[in-house]
Amino acid sequence: MSSLTYIFKRLLMMIPTFFLVMIIIFLLVRLLPGDPAIAMAGDRASDADIQAIRERLGLTEPMLVQFWLFLSNTVQGDLGQSILMRTDVIDVIADRLPITVFLTIYSVALSLLIAGPLAFVAALNRGRWPDAVIRTVFQIGLSMPVFYIGLVLLTFLAAQLRLFPVGGYGDTFGERLYHLFLPSITVALYTSAIIMRNLRSAVIEVLDAEYVQFARAKGLPSRLVLGRHVLRNALISTVTLLGLSIGNLMSGTLVTETVFAVPGMGRLMLEAIFARDYPLIQGLTLTFAILVSFVFLMTDLFQSRLDPRMRLQ
Amino acid sequence: MKMKTVLGATVAATLALPALPALAQERGGTLNFARYDGSRLIDPIYADRNPDIWMVGSLFDTLLRGTADGNSVEPGLAESFSVSEDGKTVSMTLREGILFADGSAMSGDDVVFSLDRARNPDLSPWAGLLGSIDTVSADGTAITIALKSPDPTILSMLATFNTAIVSKAAFEAAAGETDQDKSAVIFAAKTAGVGSGPFYLCGFEQGSSMDFCANENYWRMGADGEPLPYLDGVHFEIIPDDATRILSLQAGEVDAAEFIPFSRVSELEADPNIDMQLYPSTRIIYSPINTREARADGSPNPLADARVRQALNYGTNKEALIGLVLHGAGQPMSSPLMAKATQYADDLSPLYAYDMAKAKALMSDAGVGEGTQITFTTLAGSADDATIFAALQQMWAPLGIDLVVEQVDGATRGAKNRSGEFDIHTYGWVNDVNDPSQVVGWLGHTPTAKAVGTGWESAEFNTLFDEAAGEMDADARKAKFARMQELYAEAAPLLFMYETPFAVALGSAVEGYVQTPLGNNIFDEATVSR
Repeated sequence: MSSLTYIFKRLLMMIPTFFLVMIIIFLLVRLLPGDPAIAMAGDRASDADIQAIRERLGLTEPMLVQFWLFLSNTVQGDLGQSILMRTDVIDVIADRLPITVFLTIYSVALSLLIAGPLAFVAALNRGRWPDAVIRTVFQIGLSMPVFYIGLVLLTFLAAQLRLFPVGGYGDTFGERLYHLFLPSITVALYTSAIIMRNLRSAVIEVLDAEYVQFARAKGLPSRLVLGRHVLRNALISTVTLLGLSIGNLMSGTLVTETVFAVPGMGRLMLEAIFARDYPLIQGLTLTFAILVSFVFLMTDLFQSRLDPRMRLQ
Repeated sequence: MKMKTVLGATVAATLALPALPALAQERGGTLNFARYDGSRLIDPIYADRNPDIWMVGSLFDTLLRGTADGNSVEPGLAESFSVSEDGKTVSMTLREGILFADGSAMSGDDVVFSLDRARNPDLSPWAGLLGSIDTVSADGTAITIALKSPDPTILSMLATFNTAIVSKAAFEAAAGETDQDKSAVIFAAKTAGVGSGPFYLCGFEQGSSMDFCANENYWRMGADGEPLPYLDGVHFEIIPDDATRILSLQAGEVDAAEFIPFSRVSELEADPNIDMQLYPSTRIIYSPINTREARADGSPNPLADARVRQALNYGTNKEALIGLVLHGAGQPMSSPLMAKATQYADDLSPLYAYDMAKAKALMSDAGVGEGTQITFTTLAGSADDATIFAALQQMWAPLGIDLVVEQVDGATRGAKNRSGEFDIHTYGWVNDVNDPSQVVGWLGHTPTAKAVGTGWESAEFNTLFDEAAGEMDADARKAKFARMQELYAEAAPLLFMYETPFAVALGSAVEGYVQTPLGNNIFDEATVSR
């Protein structure tokens, strides 16, 4: 099967997934106590005002009618109006999406930059002191909550040494790299710990494999052995893990974006939940679902490139 | 007369010079201000959340202005005002030469348009505050407001954000079908033409940042004889996380950070680069008590007995709570219905001074037995609420109360308050209006809000409230409010807790910034030295 057919099939399979996501999120937001009309009108509004708002928002319609409207509008690309922002959900998300995507890619890139070399160093020095040091440091990184690491970095690197800005996200690409460094490295410290551990043991396993022993015995230069045989084979399980971590990173943006005052989708999601902004919560969840599905698809494609045994089907 | 004033000012300035060489006002610069939450729509009549309401005054001016002590009004856009003998007509003269920020002239038509808009119940959630107005008319600069009945609050209302003047021409020119659409379009366009406040909106990123630019046509004069404001502009960054907001100030990225948690106040007070301000406010923190005979699930409600509610109030050590939650930066409520800074607030302090013996006696009178379970509903994630609960649980244990916690979010708490599905829950209030009628209506008047959801009802209280609404004699009105406070203290439909100031940390470059007791952020006379 060609990759294109495979991608097409995978995209088709996403339709039922999204349908399920929509049903779940539609029901979940409505199961939350409190309603958007009260959140919108404020505690001081009269009961009549609240009823009027509920009617205006279409919340008095039967659930099935509401769901049908949500479904048919979404299919047509209309996610409705945000109750909170009073503008189209799609515009609000379009505003915030690039920031969150940038932050996520940046974090992943930093994680790989940290985890990759160190995993090799640790694996090649297995059992000796560099291995012990690297593993201990990452163990600490793994056991500290992200928001705490974030605050510590902010306090020392931003507020005291003033090497980095505390908040904001910049306008140009360079500015963004600078502004989003602290939030990205905070997340990366955690993610890279997971990736490092996995990559290290994968490398060790591959190093012990017969084909690597054979390649070495053949007298291939060590760089070639590591690059062509070890890295490629060790990456297979790490790519899967990376794909899953990106899914986690997305939900992590709720915390990171709030601590670092980054106006992305995670922070928006929190605001939307507190305001019971049904259309916005639905739109954001759907966007996150699309992003995660896309990442999983890319993971599978990449994996099949690394390992021909994993044929696309 | 004029000569004399100028002379007086010169003499005063000369005398002050040796002592205060920095008296000459620093002009220019942009003040960077870190906010806890962003504005969504700053329009006098649609502003319904504090982050919107508190910014209206920077962009829009009102006919009258509240005086510094908050107890009366002085001329604003109107240079003079008077109320007729029968209390049914307010006459005002609009100042000559007032310009909107884009340079167009303000006329009586703009005033009529703005006030008609503000009192239209189909548009504004605040229209009820202007219910006494019959007609508004203008003849040149002469404005006449005819009232259906005398209204003691009308002058205060003309100094309140919702009666600020907008440009009729700007609204007529804006795209959109309804007034609300037009308002949104004008706000999104960041136009200078709609308001005549000291600033106009010149930048806005939803949920991220906002910019105010100085209105060069502003009419009020600064201490240097030039028009206000001193600043070129204000830049707002929204930083919801408390710790990050403070770090941003400490890193010098912003010049001010609002809503400083009280646990951080003393640390920031000790920082030589930070000017920690605690502005007096009308904010009260209290807990409504469900006074209905039965709970929502039908079981008998021990809190229906006023003696039990009184006992809980006596059994609460307010000073200890203030120490725990506010780290000392607050004071116990002294009036049961309003903060000290509110007009007509009676000082009944100590209001239910901590007295465990009295509390126990009241509990045994009421016949409430050991192990009575009461649910305390708090905001999930609020450190303050968690502390309050833990303290009350211990304080009330000797009264035989088994206090259990129920944590909900803001929307749920609001819904529970409405439906009466609670025993006691945390709440807070800040006045929006420079008059006690709003807070008293909210807390005690049954028809307004079921006495803040407690279900408490007193015919005498309701009658007094309705009478006070039409009482033009200030002393007689004050007496009615005094009696309402007495009745309310006795009935104790609330756990009366404390008042808190507004805690704002300023960088040492900032002078002249003020947050009023109503919460309004005032940048009119703020300066920043770079």
